[in-house]
Formats: sequence, structure tokens, C-alpha cells
Amino acid sequence: MQPAVDSKQSEVKQSSKFWDVFKRYNLLILILLFVALAASLSPKFLTVQNFLNLLQQSSVIGIVSIGMTFVIIVAGIDLGVGSVVAFAGMIAAVLLAGGHGLVISIGVALLAGMALGSINGFLTTKAKVPAFIVTLAMMVAARGLALLVTDGRPVFNLPAAFNWLGAGFIGPFPVSGLLWLLITLIAVLVLTYTTFGRSLYAIGGNAESARLSGIRVERNIIIVFAISGMLSALAGVVLASWLTVGQPTAAKGLELDAIAAVVLGGTNLFGGSGGVLGTFGGVWLMAIITNIFNLLGLSSYYQMIFMGLIIVAALILNQFVANRD
Amino acid sequence: MFNKKLIILLMVTLLAMTLVAGCSGDKAPEGDVADNGAEEQLVIGFSQVTLDSPFYVALMEAAEAKADEMGAKLVYVDAQNDIAKQNKDVQDLITRGIDILLLNAVNPSGVAPAIKAAEEAGIPVIAVDRPAQGEVATFVGRDNKAMGKLAGELAVDLLGGVGAAEGKVIEIQGAAGGQVMMDRRDGFHEPLEQEAGVEIVQSPYADYVRANAVTAFQDLLQANPDVNLVYAHNDDMALGAYQVLEQNDMLGDVKIIGVDGLMEAIQKMETGNYHGTVLNDPGYLGEVAVETALGVLDGEEYPEFVDAGTSLITPDNAADYINPDLVFASKQ
Repeated sequence: MQPAVDSKQSEVKQSSKFWDVFKRYNLLILILLFVALAASLSPKFLTVQNFLNLLQQSSVIGIVSIGMTFVIIVAGIDLGVGSVVAFAGMIAAVLLAGGHGLVISIGVALLAGMALGSINGFLTTKAKVPAFIVTLAMMVAARGLALLVTDGRPVFNLPAAFNWLGAGFIGPFPVSGLLWLLITLIAVLVLTYTTFGRSLYAIGGNAESARLSGIRVERNIIIVFAISGMLSALAGVVLASWLTVGQPTAAKGLELDAIAAVVLGGTNLFGGSGGVLGTFGGVWLMAIITNIFNLLGLSSYYQMIFMGLIIVAALILNQFVANRD
Repeated sequence: MFNKKLIILLMVTLLAMTLVAGCSGDKAPEGDVADNGAEEQLVIGFSQVTLDSPFYVALMEAAEAKADEMGAKLVYVDAQNDIAKQNKDVQDLITRGIDILLLNAVNPSGVAPAIKAAEEAGIPVIAVDRPAQGEVATFVGRDNKAMGKLAGELAVDLLGGVGAAEGKVIEIQGAAGGQVMMDRRDGFHEPLEQEAGVEIVQSPYADYVRANAVTAFQDLLQANPDVNLVYAHNDDMALGAYQVLEQNDMLGDVKIIGVDGLMEAIQKMETGNYHGTVLNDPGYLGEVAVETALGVLDGEEYPEFVDAGTSLITPDNAADYINPDLVFASKQ
């Protein structure tokens, strides 16, 4: 510590001001730190093309993480997202391969995801089974459904028009990335400016007092899981479109990446706080880390170790900042 | 009120989903094969490592069809990549009563209890696709090293021929530490090591998954825009690289080689921008496994390793292999 120059009081004020700023923007500061580090390590990093690639690569996990944020805000968890991604992708691919139109195929896939999400919400609220268990069961069951659609075969030769959603561009921007940005924006508005969105924080903070204050807790929780299911399904459609193939084994382990992104973004796993912008930052942080590893040509064993260390370090920082009053 | 609506909505959607899933599946119901009763049918048990990959599903279906054709019955269990479940599964098969066991091990040493149980019950075991340690009659599989070598020889050809090959290669590897990955790597490296002008600049792991390969290759292509050839440990990942090159308008500038004979890859060869794959026909492997099993029961002698064989598929002979009904090309 430096010796105090001013009176003690002003020093406290100064430092608390610094912490206020840091608390608010710690994720952004962390991201900028990594960007600076990455830029200094590789001349290929700070290029427009690289960031457009990242925008496209991250859109699937990004869209899934938005739904996950909603679920975690109400103190739930959704382990089924990866399987729902695969299932919805298969549904869309099979319908498309069967000659159905884009709208029908994608629509049915989204409805299917919404239905699976609603089942999650329904079982957690009405049957009072913990979300962890319900969605773990969904993870297994939806994977089974995804395999059942074609007996485990991938579906390829999808129509070229479908490819536009996941791999197409509007000007220099990837369509899938723009879709992710759009949904992020909508989600931010919903969480900030709607009664429904604000009620989610109350539910996550204390479900009982939310109920007593007239919030329809159960209904809103079911809606939240339905949103998560539908966004996972959308991510599944984007993934199938990006890879031009429906694969029943796609997106394994995606749920853990999504949870990591949400938590990195400062959303509390116990519910009641956090937001979609933070998650957006969390997804970027993870994408930047993997990207720079690849650009540097770091062996993938080290990549795994560093990724783990960085996630833990970022969380410790989050905790440290949050606990500083 | 709201709940009633919700339940109805759920029911309807579920029904719709079942219909969608039902229309697309065309699996025949489990056979109620008419018993001719004349002689006792031989029962082959098959413990499969996982059925969540098209390769193993095709292997399974071909084995079933072959067993039917040869008048035997095949019963199978799916270990779902779980070694503990596999040992339990085999015990269940033995309890149920089988004459011989085909075993595709989750890992070679983990199946010791299963092999021991089979031995005690007097049931011969044949390892299929993946080796198993212990008392097995024989191992029906493929030499992944030979497959990698075929890919390596093609790479040398594409880069200028033996003794004159030049260029930068990116190798997209499978699952870190796996036997198949190591064999497909080592076999590929063999012919390349003879070429002073060839350098493997990057070797990311992408777990045999296309999405991972796309992400990694997108990054690596920026870091190495002058790459001449990409080799992936399976076609699914190679197709990921294909797609990245397509997006960057670089198709044709970079040669692409995969392994497995995935039909999607062979169809891409017609464009002239996918340069080779190595046959890894699961159907034929399943047939050989069943033939070997019935042979062992007949008292025939087999070598330690029965090779189901492989061959190179390039744009020159791709037309012979195209069959849109198959996921993997089959042996000609």
C-alpha cells in the first residue's frame, strides 16, 4: 500500500470509486486485458476477419447461453441444452431432407425445443423435482430422441438455402452472429424493461416472497425453461445449417460450456442476479481464449489446462469484486 | 385453467414429435423369426461400444443381416461408452444364453471381467473393431496405421510425388490419446517423414467432431494462409475444413484428405476439391465378424488378427462407391 497522501477519508472514497468502476466493468476489463495480451502475442489476432470468425463460431454457444442465463437467474439449471440442440437440428434436417420448406422445418424444430423446455419447467414446478435432476434426465432422453429420428445416422445433402442461416453473410457480417446479437438485445430488453423479466430476479432471489408479492412464480419458471428449450432448438438449427449436416451426436458437453459462460459473465449460480450482457461477455472471453491458443499453435493439452485455470481465476476475481463493499 | 391449456399443448406437441420421429425411422421391428424348429439356432451375442454413432449402427445392422442370412440369431447390447455397463451387459448376455460373444471393447484392458466371465461359461470371445486384452479367439478389425499410411502416400503424391514433395500440412487429429488417433497419425507420418520438403505445421485435436474442426481450422488457416494440404483423422472433420476453405474461396488451393469413406465426402469428390479418403466400411466389418464367429464355432482356426481390409478412394474411383442410401461407402 502507498502511504496516505490525502486524509484517510478521501483515500477511502478514492479507492471505493475505483472498486465501483472495477466491479461494474470487471468482465469488460478482463476481456480487454486478454485482447491486449492476444494482440501482443499474435499479429493475426486483431483483424476484422478474425473477429467476424469468432462471431460466427460463437453464435451457437452464444444463443444457448442466453437461455441458460434466464434459467440460472431463477436459480435453476438446464443440463439438457446440448441434447436439445442435437434433437432440434435433427428434426430440422430430416424435415428439410424430406422436402419440407424452411419455415415448416425450422418452425417444427423450434416448437419441439419449446415443448421439451416446457416439460422441464413443468416437472420442476409441479412435480417439485430439482431442476438439476429433471434436466439431467432430459439430457439423456433428448439425446435418445435425437438418435431415434434417423437411427443414429447423420442427415446431409440439405438444401443450399438452409445453409444461409448458419454460414451466410449479410455484407461482411455472418448471419448467425447477427442473429445472436439480435437475440441478446431482445433478451436484455426483456430482462430490464418488462414485468416478466424483472420478476425473474425476484423469483431467483426468493421464490416464496415473490409468490407472496403476487408474482406468478410457477408460470414464469415454466416460461423460462420453455425459452431455454426454444433457444437451444434455434442454436441447433443454426449448427445444422452451419455444418450442412444434422448430427444426432452434435453438441455434447455444450451445457457445461454454456454454464461456464453464464457464470463467467457474473450471473450468480444461486439465482437472483446477473444478466445477458455479462453472459455475452463470458462467451466472448471463452472464444478469445481458445482462438488465441489456436493462433499461437499451443498444444491442445496445454489449452485444456489453461482454459480451466483461466475460468477459475476469472471466477475468483468475480467473487472478490462482488464481495468488496 | 392455464394448466389445462398447457397440458393439452404439451400433449399435442409431443404427439407431433413422435409422428416426426416415427415417419423418419424405418427400422424393422425386432424379428419374430419364424422358427423352423428343425435345429437349434446358434445365438451370437454382440456387446457394442456405443450406438450413438452411425459407424457402429451400420456395423450392428450389417452383422444382424449377415447372421440372419446364415441362419443364426444375433442379440446385441449397447455399452454407451461406459466400461462398467459393458461388463454388466456381457454378464447379462451370458445369463441369457449365447454360443459366442462378439466384443467391441470400450477400452482394451477394462473388459477383463467380461472376458473372464465368458471363459468360465465356456463361451469363445471375438474382439471386433477395437482390440481387447485377454483370452480372445481372434480380433476382427482394421489396421488404422495402414489406413493412415494410405492417406500419407496420397498426400505425398498430391504434393509433388515421392522425393519431390513440398508443402505445408495441417493435420486435424481425433481424440487425444486414443489408439485410433495415434495409429492414423503414425501411419500418415511414415511416408511424409521421407520427404524433406514437407512440413506438418499444426496438429489440433478436434475429437472427430465437425464443429470443433471448423473452429480450429478457421483459426489455423489465418495463422497459416499458405497451407497446401489438410489431413483429418476422419471425413467428418475433413468436411469441416472443406467448408472453411469454401467460405474463404480457397477450395482447390488446399488439398483435402480424410479417413472413413463417409458418403458425404465421396459425393464432394465430384467437385474435384476433395482429394481422398480411406475406406473403413463398417458393414463389411460386421459381416466378417459374424462369418468369423460362426467359423470359430465350427472349429476353424483363425490368425490372431483378421483384417477386414481397406483401400483408397480418390476422385478417380469415387463413382464406383457412390450410393446415397449408405452413410459409409462399402467395399467393392
